[in-house]
Amino acid sequence: MIKIITLVSFFIINIESKAQYVGFALLNHPESFKKSFAEATAATESIQADFSQEKTLIMLSEKMNSTGKFWYRKKDRLRMEYIRPYAYLMILNTGKIFIKEGQKENKISANSNKVFQQINRILIDCVSGNMLENPDFQSHVFESHDAFLIELRPLVKNLKEQYKNINIVIDKKDFTATAIEMYEFAGDKTIIRFQNKEINAQIPDSVFNIP
Amino acid sequence: MQRTPSDETCIEKFKPDFHHAEYKTSVDVIGKHISGLLLIKYMPDRSTRIVFTNEMGLSFFDFGFLPDSGFIVYHIVQQMNKPALIKTLRRDFELIMFRNMDHTKSYNLGDSGLVYHAYPQTSGINYYITDDQCRELVKMQRSSNKKPIMEAVIYKGLPGDSPDSVSIRHLNFNFLISLKKIIPLAAQ
Repeated sequence: MIKIITLVSFFIINIESKAQYVGFALLNHPESFKKSFAEATAATESIQADFSQEKTLIMLSEKMNSTGKFWYRKKDRLRMEYIRPYAYLMILNTGKIFIKEGQKENKISANSNKVFQQINRILIDCVSGNMLENPDFQSHVFESHDAFLIELRPLVKNLKEQYKNINIVIDKKDFTATAIEMYEFAGDKTIIRFQNKEINAQIPDSVFNIP
Repeated sequence: MQRTPSDETCIEKFKPDFHHAEYKTSVDVIGKHISGLLLIKYMPDRSTRIVFTNEMGLSFFDFGFLPDSGFIVYHIVQQMNKPALIKTLRRDFELIMFRNMDHTKSYNLGDSGLVYHAYPQTSGINYYITDDQCRELVKMQRSSNKKPIMEAVIYKGLPGDSPDSVSIRHLNFNFLISLKKIIPLAAQ
């Protein structure tokens, strides 16, 4: 009887792990990916893109949608400008965060808010390609015919309470992120998809200026 | 103030319809400011869910208000997981959603052209304040047994629609919640 249960459990676990991401298979030896990825990201100085964000609330059968523009410049400058459903601006510049929401402006030190700091670090790491070195996560790499998927499982308390895992989908053509997927425990998720990407475009300092 | 029997027909007509609405929300509490999207939705089981997330999708809280006046915290971020804060938010939302209104215990108080429709709660009293002709809901108030502790104002939307905006202001400490309705992307 125990043998049967063990065998059934093995099959269930095996089916689960293989069916985890449709069209993707786990890379048991991701060294080659890591090397190519590191080379590509080392050559990426900047990214600008449009983005769409979809938050799914599974129990409520609801989706909350946002769209905006995104700028990143090495090493740690980021600007996310939400356009819809309302204007909201967030600039990250060397450890400082500036937020403008309507007429309200707010400057905060990234260090003063741990979760905010971690989420911003995730965003920067996702686009800069440093997420595989981030000690806050355990990573696994999956591959499909046109993309890689990096699954990040949080190891630190704050993030572990909030997220089950965070996935970054990487385009095989240019090794840039096409989507960031943040999965919560209750089944809710937030997916940010990047479109119209421009790699290594000249982005002026003023884009990241904190007034 | 003069005490008179309650008139439930007056208050019922002001009851807001939060069947499904998204609000741009800002919360200012003791010098700290957070903002995000607040979703209010009536569920098929007749409960009401209120979910508050920041702009980047991080969930602050997910509350369920049950038909029998029960309450469930489905999720709350660790930084907000304080019993006093949860109790305050629960009572604030209950007031603006016209919950826990036992008409058998209610009464009216008249004062300077206003009528205070009083609904005693387990602790304190909720007041819905109208003009003396019951043409307008001027404001809502939560009071302890001694003094008002919170005021809320609802700005109505179109008939049959959810309110355009809601303002919740605490009087005993610096705590302000502002909700402004978001027009769905598809309708823009």
